[in-house]
Amino acid sequence: MRALVVEDDPDLNRQLVAALTDAGFAVDKAFDGEEGYFLGETEPYDIIILDLGLPKMDGLSLLEQWRRADKKMPVIILTARDRWSDKVAGMDAGADDYLAKPFHMEELLARVRAQVRRASGHAKSEIECGPLRLDTTTARVAYDGQTIKLTSHEYRLLAYLMHHNGRVVSRTELVEHLYEQDFDRDSNTIEVFIGRLRRKIPGDLIKTVRGLGYRLAQEDDAP
Amino acid sequence: MRLNSLAFRLFVTALAWTMVVLPLAGFLVYSTYSQEVYRNYDNRIRLLLSVVQADIADHTGTELGTPGDVGEPLFQRQHSGWYWQVTPIDEPDGPRRVSNSLATAVLPSPFASKIVADATDVRWMDGVGPLEQRLRVAEAIERLGDEVSGRRYSVIVAGPLEWPEATAAEFRTRLATALAFAGLGLVAMTLFQVRFGLMPLRVIERDLSRVRAGDAKKLEGTLPIEIEPLQQEINALIQSNQEIVDRARTQVGNLAHALKTPLAVITNEADEDKSPFAAKVASQARLMRDQISLYLDRARMAAQLGTIGKVTELLPVIEPLQRALERIYRDKGVAITVQCPETAKFQGEKQDIEEMLGNLLDNASKWSKSRVYLTVTAPEASGRPAARRRLTIRIEDDGPGLTAEQRTQIGKRGLRLDESKPGTGLGLSIVGDLAQSYRGSMTLDASPHGGLAVTLDLPAV
Repeated sequence: MRALVVEDDPDLNRQLVAALTDAGFAVDKAFDGEEGYFLGETEPYDIIILDLGLPKMDGLSLLEQWRRADKKMPVIILTARDRWSDKVAGMDAGADDYLAKPFHMEELLARVRAQVRRASGHAKSEIECGPLRLDTTTARVAYDGQTIKLTSHEYRLLAYLMHHNGRVVSRTELVEHLYEQDFDRDSNTIEVFIGRLRRKIPGDLIKTVRGLGYRLAQEDDAP
Repeated sequence: MRLNSLAFRLFVTALAWTMVVLPLAGFLVYSTYSQEVYRNYDNRIRLLLSVVQADIADHTGTELGTPGDVGEPLFQRQHSGWYWQVTPIDEPDGPRRVSNSLATAVLPSPFASKIVADATDVRWMDGVGPLEQRLRVAEAIERLGDEVSGRRYSVIVAGPLEWPEATAAEFRTRLATALAFAGLGLVAMTLFQVRFGLMPLRVIERDLSRVRAGDAKKLEGTLPIEIEPLQQEINALIQSNQEIVDRARTQVGNLAHALKTPLAVITNEADEDKSPFAAKVASQARLMRDQISLYLDRARMAAQLGTIGKVTELLPVIEPLQRALERIYRDKGVAITVQCPETAKFQGEKQDIEEMLGNLLDNASKWSKSRVYLTVTAPEASGRPAARRRLTIRIEDDGPGLTAEQRTQIGKRGLRLDESKPGTGLGLSIVGDLAQSYRGSMTLDASPHGGLAVTLDLPAV
């Protein structure tokens, strides 16, 4: 899962990036509106945290431009202005949620998870695929009730596949959604992590679809 | 009319002038007139004296004769007040002649009283005659015969003083009456003048109190050119005052909002750390956040003064809120059922009704299973006086609701009944404060739909 933080306050930006990274996201950051707009326009983010009071280009018009360019990623607005008129304006500009400063990081993360789940069509905080179960709130993975220990990269990969289970996910898509923008991308590493996950998770849940990518599905699922 | 008032000053100065000038003028006119009356009377007596004087000699021209008719019948009637008398000066027992009216009485003599003669050799005095009559007496000395042997006679003519006195007194009475009426008229006129002249000041006073009550933004009445500059200056003052207040309010808002980002940083940093120090920082940061909200609310409520005349239509406020909230809670599939007459209007600031409805709908959506109901009851367009038209807004949900005990606790600033759900605990208390600032109320009870029902009573239009 990739997240973008657009916030001009360096301390808050750092905190947001740290908290999202801990929650299993590959996080990019921007400190002004123009940089933020460019990143949101070019990279496939799964969630964007957007401050409204930004230098160079304000958050609302940035959001409107993304939506006009048909960018549908979930956006959570973060702002000091917490009047309902401000909230309504933010929601009408195309935001998916609205959080007023000061806020608790836990609440932000809960809303981020909810938006990511909703965008991939999951209503509950726990995503299941047969005996495999992912608790998005605690970042715990269990198979038949047995907890499976994963490294953060393994978790990112599995979480993405779980969010999009039943669908074929290409290697390119995985690379794009699992690594930060400036990461040295090599699709071979994906194969390495897929191999590790297959060894840790019993059953043959992660299928290889030749020439297309991978699909997470129960054994009796038809391709 | 109070002592320390412009009206009193104007009235008293005008009155004082009238009090001095009218009696003075009266005195001048009266004295001129009465002098004229007495002089005319003297001239008449002088004329009669000269007639008697010319007729005292007999046919020889040296002896005393009997004066004939002097052309005044009153000399014939006894004690009529009109008398003449001719007596020898040097021999008291010598021959004397008197008018019939005088009979045996004797007239007082200015000559005997050593009064000096005037330019026509006539001596004048006021004296007392028969029956204590007060008389105007004129006396001339006439010598009959030659310088040596001729006798000197005193010729006296007297008329009653009563006559010129009565004439003067009658004039005085008329004059005083006329002047008194003129004085009263002047006083009444002055009163009217003061009231009429000062009327524009009342216009200013009325306009100012309208401005203070928030019914007007500035002084608007048409005023005379003398106080128009005053009106302009007051308007300029009101405007600059408004600008200062607006600027201060904006600064408070900017300051409060600017503090929120650093506060978010501090809160998050403290949440990361589990030490007692971090806990202290976190609790203080929470206090700061509550203070910021409190003063932002106060600044906004202060802005309400002077916006009494504002009117907000409800539907254009409700629809965007409904849209936004259904989007925020779309995972839960919250549906907000709105029942609101198209004509419903709130008498107050748009931002305030938006804040009240937003907080209540958000609260209801947060706790509901999936249904929220907003019902607005507006008064009929006419029939009731504007001050008593009320708007009833009821917001209900199908969530778990609150017990009666919880309902009495809630609404206190910063109190959160369930710490596990996100929120600041300020929502309901802000709604309560706002409703109160519009002389309305917020009441909580149980909804037939299962959850909490919040009812707002607010001024309508």
